[in-house]
Amino acid sequence: MDTIYFVFQNSLLFTVPLVVVALGGMFSERSGIVNIALEGIMVIGAFFSIFFIKTFQGSIPPQLLFILAMFIAIIVGVLFSLLHAYASINMKANQTISGTALNLFAPAFAVYTARMVQGVSQIDFENNFRIPKVPLLGDIPVIGNLIFQNVYITTYIGIGILVVASIILYKTRFGLRLRACGEHPQAADSAGINVIKMRYTGVMLSGALAGLGGLIFVVPISTNFSGSVLGYGFLALAVLIFGQWKPSRILFAAFFFGMMKTIASTSTIIPFLADLSLDPAIYKITPYLATLIVLAFSSKNSAAPRAAGEPYDAGKR
Amino acid sequence: MKKLLILLTVFLMVFGLAACSKPEDKGFELALITDVGNIDDKSFNQGAWEGLVKYAEENDITHQYYKPTEQSTAAYVDAIELAVTGGAKVIVTPGFLFGPAVFEAQDLFPEVKFVLLDADPHSEDWTQFRAEDNVYSIYYAEEQSGFLAGYAAVKDGYTNLGFMGGMAVPAVVRFGYGFLQGAEYAAAELGLADVMVKYHYTGNFDDTPDNKAKAASWYQSGVEVIFAAGGKVGNSVMSAAEEADKKVIGVDVDQSPESDTVITSAMKELGNSVYLALEAYYADEFPGGEIVTLRADVDGVGLPQDFSRFTTFKQADYDAVYAKLVDETITLKTNADGGNEAGVPDAAKLGLTAVKITVE
Repeated sequence: MDTIYFVFQNSLLFTVPLVVVALGGMFSERSGIVNIALEGIMVIGAFFSIFFIKTFQGSIPPQLLFILAMFIAIIVGVLFSLLHAYASINMKANQTISGTALNLFAPAFAVYTARMVQGVSQIDFENNFRIPKVPLLGDIPVIGNLIFQNVYITTYIGIGILVVASIILYKTRFGLRLRACGEHPQAADSAGINVIKMRYTGVMLSGALAGLGGLIFVVPISTNFSGSVLGYGFLALAVLIFGQWKPSRILFAAFFFGMMKTIASTSTIIPFLADLSLDPAIYKITPYLATLIVLAFSSKNSAAPRAAGEPYDAGKR
Repeated sequence: MKKLLILLTVFLMVFGLAACSKPEDKGFELALITDVGNIDDKSFNQGAWEGLVKYAEENDITHQYYKPTEQSTAAYVDAIELAVTGGAKVIVTPGFLFGPAVFEAQDLFPEVKFVLLDADPHSEDWTQFRAEDNVYSIYYAEEQSGFLAGYAAVKDGYTNLGFMGGMAVPAVVRFGYGFLQGAEYAAAELGLADVMVKYHYTGNFDDTPDNKAKAASWYQSGVEVIFAAGGKVGNSVMSAAEEADKKVIGVDVDQSPESDTVITSAMKELGNSVYLALEAYYADEFPGGEIVTLRADVDGVGLPQDFSRFTTFKQADYDAVYAKLVDETITLKTNADGGNEAGVPDAAKLGLTAVKITVE
């Protein structure tokens, strides 16, 4: 049983950032703007917030510091995503190129700035944010072991974001309008919705979540940050597509990716998998293979927002 | 007006060119080309660069580093050419991957000296090996460094160890084999029958969630200390160790400032060897054409002189075993005679009896 708890707790390392960033991508694409800049926004968000953590570590209690850093990551992510919004909404630029530009810019900026400010490109931090056991809740059998022990506060924030995101998207007026702008912006416009404003909001939400995702991706896995999130922004895009732009399916997709990646790394301590002694590469390949298969079979009735990627042209019918 | 503008532009261009060419008059006498990774990687490049800077600053010599545009022999040769154009007389090239680049460059720039670390000049297809008079190749006896780390860990009471290497390049494999033999040697001294060692190459030099999860799973299964020999892989292992309250052994340079979990580090004296090579060059004694392996007898490898994070292993124990490496009472098996071509260790070949390896 301990092994199962351990594997589950570790899979959250992958799952939580993927969910948060993929939900960010969802808001942007649902408003009609393809955002492949998720990777770059993650880097920028992680860069500023980890620099903040490094500066104030020791003088602010860890959990408070972590939460403040999250706000920084969110704010920076929003500001950075505005570049993408301006280029692709106001300037009607090609959204893939604009996103690529941000992806190229972010790591270079992070490394250069870190060197200018502190001499070296790595930003060291001490990881003392883990909660060994949540009081009371940690004692609940099974569930307590699964999500209330050896956990980061980001797990709960991730769950919270998922719930709020589903409600916003499906149960609010704003969500309906956002979806309308991603499906048929001209129709939305004729119904009196300000498409430009909706799209800006969508991109800014994606910036906020991707920035936050950058921070919560880096903190549990290393002791320093050097301008890279190792392609997890792109992985989040794969999760978004695998999840067909729907929050509940995104959760499932991220969990599937996270679980497979964890099993690939830990298969030797899981009794029945260790006996199989399969090559760990098989577990690693599975999620990507599954994404390809899902894409191949669902491409005909793909749930991709119909207007995603197209600059809004009010004159077009 | 137009003519005036043209005149002005011409003037600006001439001045601009003059300004650009200024450093070239003086140039940078000492140069370093970085390998994969940055100059401040807290490991390989940085170690070599610090040695160069130390010598340059003590003797007031101009110095500069260059970063190749990509990881390929052509890009490395271009970077070397750039350094030569910039006035370099001695070029330090740290890393296994520079072998073919220096093989080409030694003929292109016979008047420039090369200090090549962790490699010797060879053609890209590994058929020709030739070091001209302007190349000094330095290898390190990583197996001895790894041996000391493994010995210290087992002597200090750890009996469940892990080795997590980066890519299975020769230097990393030497670290691993040495580590196993060190653990065996200490087990024999202490009369231990069982020392468990998990052994794994991550295939990258990054701090990924995968590496962190791997390290965490080892700690979960009872591993007490992991020797992380793979650049930033070490940061993932440290992160896992901080969570599990377990220990890490660092690599290349003293990594103890990076985390409280680092009990010691298997070092190689990159900086010092670069320093000595430069000193030899300026004394007109550049050991051109030589290929050396720096061992314990010249302090080429070792552990940091701080034993405070051990419980029972002390300076005296270290000095005793180090002396045996120096006078070659202890000889170690390395890559060719310790395992297969992929760098997977073979217990029988390495003479391991107490140490039980689990390769993952």
